Amino acid sequence: MGADFADIQLINRLEEGDNSALYQLYDKYSGALYGVILRMCQNEDEAQDLLQETFVKIWKSISQYNASKGRFYTWAYRIARNTTLNSLRNKKNLIQNDDLGVYETKVEEENQKEYTLLKGSVEKLEPHHQKAIALVYYQGYTHKEAHEEMGVPLGTFKSYIRQALKQLRKTYANELVWLSFILETIA
Amino acid sequence: MEKKRILEEGLLEQYLAGELSTDEQLMVENALDADASLKEHFEQLEADFEKMAFEQAIDPPGRVKNRLMDSIENMALKSSNRYPLWVAASFALLFGLTSFWMYTQWQKAEQNFNTLEQQTILLKERVDVLEKEYTLTSTQLNQINGPNVIPLVLYGNQKSPDAKLVAYVDHNRKIVIVNSQGLPVLPDSHTYQMWSDVDGEMINMGTLAPKQELIPLKYIEKAESLNITIEPAGGNDHPTVEELISAAPL
Repeated sequence: MGADFADIQLINRLEEGDNSALYQLYDKYSGALYGVILRMCQNEDEAQDLLQETFVKIWKSISQYNASKGRFYTWAYRIARNTTLNSLRNKKNLIQNDDLGVYETKVEEENQKEYTLLKGSVEKLEPHHQKAIALVYYQGYTHKEAHEEMGVPLGTFKSYIRQALKQLRKTYANELVWLSFILETIA
Repeated sequence: MEKKRILEEGLLEQYLAGELSTDEQLMVENALDADASLKEHFEQLEADFEKMAFEQAIDPPGRVKNRLMDSIENMALKSSNRYPLWVAASFALLFGLTSFWMYTQWQKAEQNFNTLEQQTILLKERVDVLEKEYTLTSTQLNQINGPNVIPLVLYGNQKSPDAKLVAYVDHNRKIVIVNSQGLPVLPDSHTYQMWSDVDGEMINMGTLAPKQELIPLKYIEKAESLNITIEPAGGNDHPTVEELISAAPL
């Protein structure tokens, strides 16, 4: 498994100065990253600027990406998350916590815009699993902040995340079985 | 041990989000490198995480890509424009350093050249002097070293008992040369003078200073003897017989 072979080729080209490789990576990953950034900052204009900033950072620091340590998306996700959190921290209405936390920045659930709601397989998860995934991976909370936000012990919260990801794996595996079945039927 | 802790504490899920401290991150990465089953578990987690991300994807407006492309091309242009500047600056620096080095070398070479030139002039002067001295010595040696040269020693009488003069007489070439190194020094008011006795008449041969190696004097035909007197400075037309200090027959 590990890093995608096509991605590695694009990254090699990018490292050699071929900027078109960056635009191909953008075509592939901008939606996934924009989904994270927009859900975190809840502002389309700002999210678009941050997405651009994220890809500029990717372009500048591509030599630091190490395919043996993980997928390109994981690396790019961390850049997008940190870029967004830094931007949110710099806003005047933020009260910075001593951790990575930006409590005051978190938008109340009732004010959340529709596009920020999670969809697909995550939507089918139990509500507390869904919320745990949303807080940690789509709203920029640390595990420590998120368990406080949900009002459950840290260990319980961690098991929510583990169970949620396990559930998602099952869903994806079933989807794969169904897809294979359909393909075999068609063939 | 670490694997157990990583799995129990959900560190892989936190590592995925990039929220671990540097130490924890390093510990997880080392454990992933060391344990293939943990690595496989993480890769599965990453794959699910990516699938979830694609499910949650929201397409950004097309203008974002256009802005990104403009921004990247501008930055690439600036960095590529900077490249020739750096190259030019490097060459200028190299040229400057080389010029400075060459200038100092040139200065050093010029200084050496001037020193050498001065030394050459001094050497040439010395050679000239030596050449003159050699020519003179060689001539004098030739004059006193001929087969027909008669050497004569004139000793001082009781008036100047320490006086001694060597005379070289060559009748064939009509030369008289004397060595006055054996004559005592006289006061400035007086000088030695030599005379040839021809038929009882003293003929002037010239004055001579003491302490000289070779002094040529006038050769007088048919001289019967050589005589030395002490005369007033500048010499005398006639010898002061009372001041005769030496005489030798020829």
